[in-house]
Amino acid sequence: MDNFSALLEGFATVLHPVYLLWALFGVFIGTAVGVLPGIGPAMTIALLLPLTYSLEPTAAIIVFAGIYYGGMYGGSTTSILLNTPGESASIVTALEGNRMARAGRGAAALATAAIGSFVAGTIATVALTFVAPVVAGWAVQLGEPDYFALMVVAFITVGALLGSSVPRGLASLSLGLFLGLIGTDTLTGQQRFTFGVPNLADGIDVVVVAVGLFAVGEALYVGSRMRHGPIEVIPVEKGWRSWMKRDDWRRSWKPWLRGTAIGFPVGTIPAGGADVATFLSYAAERRFAGKRRKQFGKGAIEGVAGPEAANNAAAAGVLVPLLTLGLPTTATAAIMVVAFQSYGIQPGPMLLRNESALVWALVASLYIGNLMLLVLNLPLVGMWVRVLSIPRHYLYAGILLFGALGSYALNFSPVDVLLLLIVGLIGFFMRRYGYPVAPMVVGMILGPMAEDRLRRSLAISQGDLTYLVTSPFAATAYVAIAVLLGVGIWLKRRERATGVAPIAGDGDDR
Amino acid sequence: MRSDSGAPEAPTTPGEPTAEAGPPPSDAPEPVVAEPPRRRWGELVLAAATAALGVYVLMAAGSITVPGSTNTLGPRAFPYLVGGMLLVAGVALVVLVLSGRAGEEEGGEDVDPTQRSDWLTVVLLVVTLVVHVFAINVVGWPFAAAILFAGAAVVLGARPWWRAALVGLVLGLVIQVIFGGLLGLSLPPGPLLEGVPFLRG
Repeated sequence: MDNFSALLEGFATVLHPVYLLWALFGVFIGTAVGVLPGIGPAMTIALLLPLTYSLEPTAAIIVFAGIYYGGMYGGSTTSILLNTPGESASIVTALEGNRMARAGRGAAALATAAIGSFVAGTIATVALTFVAPVVAGWAVQLGEPDYFALMVVAFITVGALLGSSVPRGLASLSLGLFLGLIGTDTLTGQQRFTFGVPNLADGIDVVVVAVGLFAVGEALYVGSRMRHGPIEVIPVEKGWRSWMKRDDWRRSWKPWLRGTAIGFPVGTIPAGGADVATFLSYAAERRFAGKRRKQFGKGAIEGVAGPEAANNAAAAGVLVPLLTLGLPTTATAAIMVVAFQSYGIQPGPMLLRNESALVWALVASLYIGNLMLLVLNLPLVGMWVRVLSIPRHYLYAGILLFGALGSYALNFSPVDVLLLLIVGLIGFFMRRYGYPVAPMVVGMILGPMAEDRLRRSLAISQGDLTYLVTSPFAATAYVAIAVLLGVGIWLKRRERATGVAPIAGDGDDR
Repeated sequence: MRSDSGAPEAPTTPGEPTAEAGPPPSDAPEPVVAEPPRRRWGELVLAAATAALGVYVLMAAGSITVPGSTNTLGPRAFPYLVGGMLLVAGVALVVLVLSGRAGEEEGGEDVDPTQRSDWLTVVLLVVTLVVHVFAINVVGWPFAAAILFAGAAVVLGARPWWRAALVGLVLGLVIQVIFGGLLGLSLPPGPLLEGVPFLRG
């Protein structure tokens, strides 16, 4: 099929006034929630999921695209303007952006982040348009063992490799796999680990786990050691038209393009998503800075422009394996799989063929959402700044309320809210003792899929284990794991060398 | 990276022994050791619990019924694998904690790393959520939501309490109107508001 005309059809769908309004709504609410401190994209999506329950699939997908890009963008505002950055995932932006803001250049930092996100988002969405059909066409030929190999790659990269502590990542991943086991076995119909509770026979809903770990766990953890005293938001000068000086443009455009070039490919491979991309871009900018290298760590605009562009490009890149293979490579993507499934859409190689109108509408709304973000964010930054100073007790009470609403709305059963609380407590203890929570969500979603693939593979081969590694693709994947492990260790060394604190395995924010 | 400029509160010296406020939840015993690893006990319990869960999964996996029709890999294999992973990770973590390498707790914009854990707040937040759960079917969703919001806000330091209650009530009703009335989620309005047409989709 002609992809270009399909994309045009997608645009025709999305440009319908009602859908445009939905897109605007998604971008707006995504940014608003993403800007809230302590809420990353994964939590934004998990919290806003109930908003889309009652929409028809096309509208839901369009709102979703807006929330995804908006939530991604919102986070950068937080790390630039809040005087107390500390989230591991936004550390690179905070590193330079927050310094710039404190030196009175907050507006320039925000502008380069916004425009860089737009540039990167647009280029990366174009790349997605061309790459996704190719990957999908090729994915159709993959067999069961190949999918199993891909999932093993995702487990290892998301779960253990990039965390600051491998055993903690492994523990979190295994906990997620265990939660995925609870319920009725799809192939034999046997109940597993349901403890005789009828509510558990259908398994625990992933939304409950995601919201519990990200929202409730976070609220409890913040509650246990809340930062008291006034909230220090760094003021931004008025008049956004004069934000970027000529010199800022000159210094920003190359990092934007380099960030995009780094971000998109890193996003497409299952290697931990945007975290890695922002770090790589930061390192690259430092290298290219030449004489200006001394400014790094003191507020170099390149250190905001590059990583922010890389972040957004990676966000689009993540959609490639998500849409074509059904393979989520970040916690945010994992929650998107859940969202798609709740609309009755199964991401995977057949998606582009069976639901091509929907997919192209999604891609088209990514283009439009990206444009809307730019238009929305430059003038509205004053409002986002006010959102940042919302009293923390109301903020976290609101997070709890929306988390409870989201789980209650799943089945309208208070039992789900109780489960949410239990998962939230687990999340609290994990946060407190430095266990990353993202692998748990990914493990829970990918676990049942991986088990399915594994058992189907072995059913085909009649128990011959070598069948798992004999296909060229699977063999390549396992070799790639070995290489990735090597690169991972190398990256960690680089991080230490460049003085960036180790990227904690908790990818819950990018 | 981590800003410490102008933090108004006096930071607790990390060396202080932790006499934590409030009753700790049952599964996290009061840390009795002072620094170095002041959170050692709780972390040890979490690691041991992971290992214990692994043992449980390994044992329980054996009692999953395998129907006769199953070829090669039945419903037990994956649980065995997961149980094994839990056990390995748990044991590795116990060893890690005992050798003094405690985990790095998570940072965040609103987290004050110098603050001691305030267990009372955590317990009260949990209680508020439990009350919310049981209130939904008694007083209806909007009021249960108001209880949750106001309760959590006051526990987290909102003053005066009646303003939090007012905000909670308004928020609960607004969400009920938007989600229940306009978007068609069947949130129960409760006996007090039963029959108000725009609260139900």
